[in-house]
Amino acid sequence: MRKRWLRTAVILASAATMLSAAPGVPAGKRATANTPHTTVAIRRITESQYRHAIADIFGPDIRLNARFEPGKREGGLLAIGNSNLSLTSGGFEQYFAMARSIADQALDAKHRDALVGCRPADPKAADAACTTQFVQKYGALLFRRPLARSDVAARVAIAGKGAVQKGDFYEGLKLALDSLLMAPEFLFRIEQAEPDPDHPGQLRLDGYSKASRLSYLILDSEPDEELLRAAASGELHTQAGLERQLARMTESPRVEAGVKAFFSDLLQLDQLDGLTKDASTYPKFSQAMVDSAREETLRTLVDDLVTRDGDYRDIFTNRTTYINRPLAAVYNVPFLGGSDSWTRYTFPGDSDRAGVLTEVTFLSMFAHPGRSSPTRRGVKVNEIFLCRPTPDPPPNVDFSKVQATENGTVRTRLLDHMTNPGCAGCHRLSDPVGLTLERFDGIGQSRTAENGVPIDVSADLGGRKFNGASGLGQLLHDDPRAPACLAQQVYAYGIGREPMQADEGFLAAVAKGFADDGYRIKALYRRIGSSPEFFRVVIPEKSKPTAPGQKVAGAGSHRSAGVSR
Amino acid sequence: MNPRFDRRSLMRGLIGGAAVCVGIPALDIFLDNHGKAYANGVKLPTRFGTYFWGLGLTNTAEGNLWVPTKTGPDFDIMPQLAPLAPVKSKISVFSGFRVIGDGRPNLVHWSGHASILAGAAPQNANNFEGPSFDTVVADAIGTGTRFKALDISPSGKTTSYSTRTGNSFATPETTPLALYMRLFGEGFQDPNSPNWKPDPDIILRQSVLSAITEQRKALMADVGRADQIKLDQYFTSLRETENSLAIQLQKPEKREACMIPPKPYAGKPGISIDLVNANNRQMARLMAMALACNQTKVFNVVHTSGPSETYIAGDDKTYHQRTHDEPTDAKLGYQPMSSKLAGMVMVGLGDFLTELDAVKEGDGTLLDHSVVMAFSDTGYAKIHSLENIPMIIAGGASGRHKAGQHVASKGEAVTRVSLTAQQLAGAPVGEFGSGAMKTSNPISEVMA
Repeated sequence: MRKRWLRTAVILASAATMLSAAPGVPAGKRATANTPHTTVAIRRITESQYRHAIADIFGPDIRLNARFEPGKREGGLLAIGNSNLSLTSGGFEQYFAMARSIADQALDAKHRDALVGCRPADPKAADAACTTQFVQKYGALLFRRPLARSDVAARVAIAGKGAVQKGDFYEGLKLALDSLLMAPEFLFRIEQAEPDPDHPGQLRLDGYSKASRLSYLILDSEPDEELLRAAASGELHTQAGLERQLARMTESPRVEAGVKAFFSDLLQLDQLDGLTKDASTYPKFSQAMVDSAREETLRTLVDDLVTRDGDYRDIFTNRTTYINRPLAAVYNVPFLGGSDSWTRYTFPGDSDRAGVLTEVTFLSMFAHPGRSSPTRRGVKVNEIFLCRPTPDPPPNVDFSKVQATENGTVRTRLLDHMTNPGCAGCHRLSDPVGLTLERFDGIGQSRTAENGVPIDVSADLGGRKFNGASGLGQLLHDDPRAPACLAQQVYAYGIGREPMQADEGFLAAVAKGFADDGYRIKALYRRIGSSPEFFRVVIPEKSKPTAPGQKVAGAGSHRSAGVSR
Repeated sequence: MNPRFDRRSLMRGLIGGAAVCVGIPALDIFLDNHGKAYANGVKLPTRFGTYFWGLGLTNTAEGNLWVPTKTGPDFDIMPQLAPLAPVKSKISVFSGFRVIGDGRPNLVHWSGHASILAGAAPQNANNFEGPSFDTVVADAIGTGTRFKALDISPSGKTTSYSTRTGNSFATPETTPLALYMRLFGEGFQDPNSPNWKPDPDIILRQSVLSAITEQRKALMADVGRADQIKLDQYFTSLRETENSLAIQLQKPEKREACMIPPKPYAGKPGISIDLVNANNRQMARLMAMALACNQTKVFNVVHTSGPSETYIAGDDKTYHQRTHDEPTDAKLGYQPMSSKLAGMVMVGLGDFLTELDAVKEGDGTLLDHSVVMAFSDTGYAKIHSLENIPMIIAGGASGRHKAGQHVASKGEAVTRVSLTAQQLAGAPVGEFGSGAMKTSNPISEVMA
């Protein structure tokens, strides 16, 4: 932690040098001075992006104690849903309190010297020069681009006012920082396009918007100093410059945070927040168990996909995971470590426990408070790992034939869905999949019987017969749709919208490339991040007509009418 | 329990260490001759709230547990409405109203309340066709308070159906403690405190926001329509925060019914019905004081969400699951366990209204000066019916509501009830809804 903080400080010091050289630009000309710009997207940052930004810019010891606005999942991802969200007044109030708390901590006596980089002539009075330097430096890091001159001036003015009223330079500076943290330019990612000099009449994302896309895709955070420099210099518009940055970022240790953020979104781990279970049915369920489960899943994924640079498909079959004491109790395996320690653990070859589907996260999130749910689990396997969402159920379902469920296993009950024509279409896709996970209860504990009847975990999916969770894991491992789905979701996550028809050829090529790369995720990041499609400009629908003669750059020329929202 | 207690101990809200919330009549000396307003000239405001519960109530061809058999003022309380019996004279029950979909799909556990709140059946789940009407009411009457509206979700789920855009929904408080801290933590100013003085730091907090507002024009230039809506909402939220700060700079009007309640204990997380109802009751008490202390005039409650996950503790099936799985009892004509749960869910509404009614204010109670519109997502949940969705308007609306009636409709649009609630609350709204659910015809029987 300490090391990371020091590194950030070093980055900031050099960022100051770089950014203070960048002259302020007049408001309304934010892209680059004297070139017209078009705002092409405004995307609210997620909770984890906010947290990473604050930790990266102000240090990991800044505590954030507030409730974030909830995200919304669309196309399977919060990254897409959040692109369509704004800030409600209740949320604004929360961020407002949080901004003050961050400013108080970042500029307290302990941190201020390392952070501010200049000293006021009189610590009891306003100092416009030092304030300007501070606002330019941190404003650029927070806004992901240099500030307009008027943006700087507004903050310098309130800092001055505050310093006078409070008789303290730093109290004034806190107000300026507060105001930066509340600005829409920080709370939203504002993507802008500019005329493309290589393709007259077309637009391209400006360098800073490209830098943000890359940084949020790979690191789930703001562009760092080096990336902002590459944006300012135009390097990101060259293939070699772009690839150099991609190589640097994917080899950075910070990629772990990016991979964790992506999989937290993909696997819907936000559903662990506030997850509750019936206490009498599941006495082992606790907040510590939930927190441990999240950590297990993310640690294992980072270990497999980043540290070992392994094959993505192995996450479905890998028997090695990380456990701590609360998880050992749920998995019913011995644990010799201390209460805070983690250990690598490999389930025996004859165990049904293999891969991400058999972890407590998946098994407990997609279940009921007091029982498992083969339907939910099946639906989520299809949705998350195969990009096959299930349509909404029909409203007028006739369950009158349903038998009492206090006896036998859930398989009996679900058979009704399969014979009922209104339900069969979807349940035939979900239930056989979910039923293979039935040897795990609503929090993921192993079991072999339900109501005294042995649980049957055999399945027949389109003529392919398999057995249990390990059979399902192997099936997914061997299904080419699974890695293709991952590639699609990484792309969607990065661009913040669902892929559209024009993306199909590109996605097919990426899926093939992913296979050629041995299904390595870092290579996938590089492949997607270096493609023109990743930076494609989609001109949003305007209230007023767009200027004539403007075409859209990139592979297709689709306006937002073609964007599926 | 300490047998000695007086007004002061009640004001502190503590008797023998146990939390209580007992309404005390405002002393007559505070009131003017008509009893409608306080002697200092402050008129008692009308408050407005929505109260949602998931999974409807039981009404089938063979079995009816909620629709009163009689209409008009002498209606009868059926079993599932029994928790409302203590406030029967202060509620109107509406039956037989439905969602008219105009060819839109029945999005289960969504189309019902989306229509009631936004006036049209939505095309897609997760979105409404426009703003929910509580925001319109809040804009009309929610002025002069620290919060324009407060949202709570006693089941602990981050669920609210209040939206200004049809897309971003409000973030509710999910625990009594969080609600307490929001209301009575930092920024709270006791309206009855004798030593009020403005906090000069508030002016500095205002300047933080004004620096952002100055940049608005540059930001709004050349954005797409969807992005413009997002920025508009952002700046609306900013303005509401500015208003809230401005209010904190003014000396608050005295509120005799305001008693700062004791800090609630954290409570047990969980969504079994006993826990949800316990949280709901605690939050109702806090919300009553939020209203009495003039912290807000508008609130939204989601007792349990549309596909309600609540359950009877120890039972391995959720309410929602039961409405799907449970066989219909041939003799009764409905699903017995699901119907039992529906009755337990209604205890939450009974508790909520009772808590508002327990706070004396002016010549009546807080409930008399409120309009609470309660409704569900569906009629009979087993079939996800959009017909006969139970709707109730509670509270006297400061004399505007001719309460204590049952109004039975033969399939008119739910939006008529929504429009009625808006007008009772004092919002200047003459028309509500769109397409086949567009109406300018409130239910005049219940309007004085």
